[in-house]
Amino acid sequence: MSEAVATKRAKREALGPYGRVGNVINELDERLGIAKGGRTFLDKIFPDHWSFMLGEIALYSFVVLLATGVFLTFYYIPSSAIVTYHGSYLPLQGQHVTQAYASSVDLSFGVRAGLLMRQMHHWACDIFVGSIVVHMARVFFTGAFRKPREANWTVGLTLLILAIGNGFLGYSLPDDLVSGTGLRIAYSIMESIPLVGTYLAFFVFGGNFPGTSMIPRFFVLHVLVIPLIILGLVGAHLFLLVRQKHTQFHGPGRTENNVVGSPMFPVFMAKTTGFLFLVAGVIGLLGAFAQINPIWQFGPYDAARISYAVQPDWYMGFLDGALRIFPAWSFHSFGHTIPLEVTIPAVVLPGIIFNLAFAWPALERKLTGDNAMHHLLDRPSFRPKRTAAGAAVLAFLIILFIGSSTDVIANFMHLSLNSVLWGMRVLTFVVPIITYPIAYYLAKEMQRAPGAGKRKTANVVTRSATGEYIAEAAPAYAEDVHHELEATPVPTFIEPEQSSDNGVRTAPR
Amino acid sequence: MIVNSSALKRSAAFMFLLVLVAGPVLVFLGPANAASHSAYQTSRKNAGTPNSSQVVRDSSGQIISYGNNSITYTAPSAALEQLGHALYLQNCATCHGDKANGVPADGTSGAYPNLIGVGPATVDFWIESGRMPAADPRSVQAARHVARLNHKQALAVAAWVNSLSPSLPLVPTPHLNHANVSDGAALFALNCAACHTIEGSGDALAASTYAPSLRNIPAFQVVEAIRTGPGNMPRFTGNLSDKQVNDIVKYVTTEIQHPNNPGGFGLGGLGPVAEGFVGLALGVGLLALLGYWVGERD
Amino acid sequence: MSEKTSRTPVSLQSVRESDPHLQPAAKNPIVVERVIALNFIAAMLSFVGFLWAYIVNAQAWKLGATFGGGMTFLGIGLIAWGKYLMPRGPFVEERHILSSTQDERNAMSDAIVKRGGGVIQRRKFLGGLLGGSMALVGAASIWPLLRSLGPLPKGTLFHTDWRKGSYAVDQSGRRIHKNDLAVGSIVTVFPEGKQNTDNGQAVDQTVIIRISNEDYTTQKGRESWAPHGYVAYSKLCTHLGCPVGLYEQQLQLLVCPCHQSMFDVTNGALPNFGPAPRPLPQLPLYIDANGYIRAQSDFHEPVGPGFWERS
Repeated sequence: MSEAVATKRAKREALGPYGRVGNVINELDERLGIAKGGRTFLDKIFPDHWSFMLGEIALYSFVVLLATGVFLTFYYIPSSAIVTYHGSYLPLQGQHVTQAYASSVDLSFGVRAGLLMRQMHHWACDIFVGSIVVHMARVFFTGAFRKPREANWTVGLTLLILAIGNGFLGYSLPDDLVSGTGLRIAYSIMESIPLVGTYLAFFVFGGNFPGTSMIPRFFVLHVLVIPLIILGLVGAHLFLLVRQKHTQFHGPGRTENNVVGSPMFPVFMAKTTGFLFLVAGVIGLLGAFAQINPIWQFGPYDAARISYAVQPDWYMGFLDGALRIFPAWSFHSFGHTIPLEVTIPAVVLPGIIFNLAFAWPALERKLTGDNAMHHLLDRPSFRPKRTAAGAAVLAFLIILFIGSSTDVIANFMHLSLNSVLWGMRVLTFVVPIITYPIAYYLAKEMQRAPGAGKRKTANVVTRSATGEYIAEAAPAYAEDVHHELEATPVPTFIEPEQSSDNGVRTAPR
Repeated sequence: MIVNSSALKRSAAFMFLLVLVAGPVLVFLGPANAASHSAYQTSRKNAGTPNSSQVVRDSSGQIISYGNNSITYTAPSAALEQLGHALYLQNCATCHGDKANGVPADGTSGAYPNLIGVGPATVDFWIESGRMPAADPRSVQAARHVARLNHKQALAVAAWVNSLSPSLPLVPTPHLNHANVSDGAALFALNCAACHTIEGSGDALAASTYAPSLRNIPAFQVVEAIRTGPGNMPRFTGNLSDKQVNDIVKYVTTEIQHPNNPGGFGLGGLGPVAEGFVGLALGVGLLALLGYWVGERD
Repeated sequence: MSEKTSRTPVSLQSVRESDPHLQPAAKNPIVVERVIALNFIAAMLSFVGFLWAYIVNAQAWKLGATFGGGMTFLGIGLIAWGKYLMPRGPFVEERHILSSTQDERNAMSDAIVKRGGGVIQRRKFLGGLLGGSMALVGAASIWPLLRSLGPLPKGTLFHTDWRKGSYAVDQSGRRIHKNDLAVGSIVTVFPEGKQNTDNGQAVDQTVIIRISNEDYTTQKGRESWAPHGYVAYSKLCTHLGCPVGLYEQQLQLLVCPCHQSMFDVTNGALPNFGPAPRPLPQLPLYIDANGYIRAQSDFHEPVGPGFWERS
């Protein structure tokens, strides 16, 4: 018996103090030199604030998009060839539909887990774009786009545009009545651009609408080209984040020259991987219980058919709203037409908004004269002008988004459609204009309130035997003790507390 | 010339305010007024001839029924006319007049529709969908209600009104077991979805009119609505055969009214608007809340 | 070569295992451990349930509930472990200075300007020719890709398939007879033979509405276009091309469902509300000796939304 133990001990000692893992590291480092850089990577500190999780929602919903998307590409057929539907959904039996539509309906009814994958993919897209917007708002209102992170802001904004575009292309692939209408509108918007519009529309769509090239081309763009660009830009986004390190809020022990938080391994990896599962879980539950894009009910796209109460997906809503409320001004002279009622809301307006967003870091640098490096974040209430400007632009976009449901609003609230439209036209100007001063004064008020937005500690009131009331701050939760400790560098070596004679380390749980 | 800039600013501000105020006011006055002017002047010329066979006439040559194996149209029994007249005087004459000519007792001609020659299906549709007697005669569009008169009473009123000037179409009975739901889906998408939406939820139209939801309508009323074109709804007579109408009815009473919704909650059949709210509030909102748990507060 | 110091100085300090920074944050680590264990067990059960649901081809919601539930439990467990049981920290690391020294920057600029630029300076002519060739490489790579994408528009947008004498047919190909429509009826029509073609459906689509003759306002030059109140308009909205299928027969409006433009049916489909700038083009009709509705000619203007070449 003791011989076996002795042999085991000898073998273990031969491996070295870190066992097999140590051996692997040694071998890899001899060949690749990964030890120092790897250790630096594992020690990387990530600040823990909850608002930094918003970007992770975007990242992980993109992962879900990729995974579910691969599943869908195995069954979806990107062809406009006409086939006769012979699947299990009776109201489509015998109808002549495109293969793209038929394969999408078969995905929903004939492929196991197909409907779940389709729905998860679509919900993940809505959440992807939504979380990018929320994350972008967080970055904007806390000033994280300032030097040295202007490049990351540009990358992120490009990601937003690509995400919106890919989402639009993606939900147009099944070639159903609702999304086909959106494609017709996109075609007309392209057509409306002065000088080059008709050429652009004919080139992108392969001829007059609808043609047969539209679906196969958009499939390649949606599945290959744009996701590759997004992947590359996400990589750049994360690389910049790791290289420049994350920003952090003001707080005890935090300066412009350090980062306080949890190390990459094991804490941050555990939390972020757990968050990946949470995002996948929420998307899975949505895909299970909330029906989205029921293309079988919409029927195949037919250029002569149309449904009412048709809106694009929410992230295109601001464009649809702008198109609805813009007056019928068309410029027509010298033998040419510029359909301003299309070009201004659908081309010029998003152009202005996105260019303003791209230019914002430089604009703010110019307006504030601040060229310093910033690694500490602003609290939004301490930058009232920026906060108010952002709030006003957001309010404008939200009003436009609401404007895309004028008919649904009129129906729900039993109002005249005509008055709802006029109401939206007025609100588009009025709401942003009053949002700015309201946000500005709110921010200023918050600055004056001490501890605004901070977690309040309870007061424990005790009564002494003689009847005195004594109020003290409640003891902090054990979790909060985290903040009472001073931050230390990540330890290089952890020394065991005690060791028994046969080399077994014991440590407190 | 010296321009007084402050006066210019004042007048510009005044013009802006004027436009802001005048716009909604004009909208309220303008198209709504135009609507009420011709709201009830439905022309009944050439209301549609039977495009089916098996016409059965009575001894005096009046058509009692016609139809085929898709839809049978039947005239309400003449025996009901007396009951119908009594019910009409009780429930309808106040507005439509004692002679059913749209001239009420106070003599304001043209305020209410002339019912002479509209045909039994029209009368039956308005009464059995509960729209008539009108709950609010001044509203732009009468809404569906629980019917005040039952089926027999409605047929009785239809019989009496029809007796004044016998007309078509008659009261339909669709035979849904002969209908093809797939053809119905295609026809619905081309002819009906533009107003009623592809999921049959209904939506607002111009100037406070609306296309109603199709979730609560029985099969024969769908035929009546298609053939008679009530209110602002266009009427589909010769361009849709009885077989095609029967197919549409089958689609409405099955898929529209009992959608399978295999994907989960239907979210009201409102399409991307509802989906956006759920995605943002439930999806991003819930995940942001979970992120609040994961991260720190400071 | 000078020894470059590492970018991030790796701390070399050791701490004892009992250091407070390494302790779990939870007050009751054992209880938390049990809760996490329950979550992991629930996750495993859910995933097994998912596999079973897949094998028996269960409904989509069961597949999604088990999959989503499993992922959620797993995520909660893992996050709780990281947040409550792992070393609570806080830890700090110094930000290294990102930028290089001015000498290093100058060295980079020198490499580009003097070494590289110098080459071009010495051979300016070659440099110019190289530049020209590169530009043409770009053009040669891009041009076929872009130009082959589609045909030139030319006159395509200016014509439809309607001709003099075209029968108006519905989507099944049946010719429309005047008796098919009562006053207040609407039908979607195409030129005969084109009802199943792409172009036919997308471009030729037309609505014929029968209004009573008294209601119709005859526009100058269009006196013969709407015989007996049968009037035809292009179904393509002049705003963005959606089919204008929504007809309100008492208001006499054609409403476009997309952005709610409203066209007056009795008066040349003039837009009186909404963003559409031009009336719907009217198709001149006539009724032939057998009572069928036919076109007199093509539309007198391009149908659909506006574009630059539209005069």
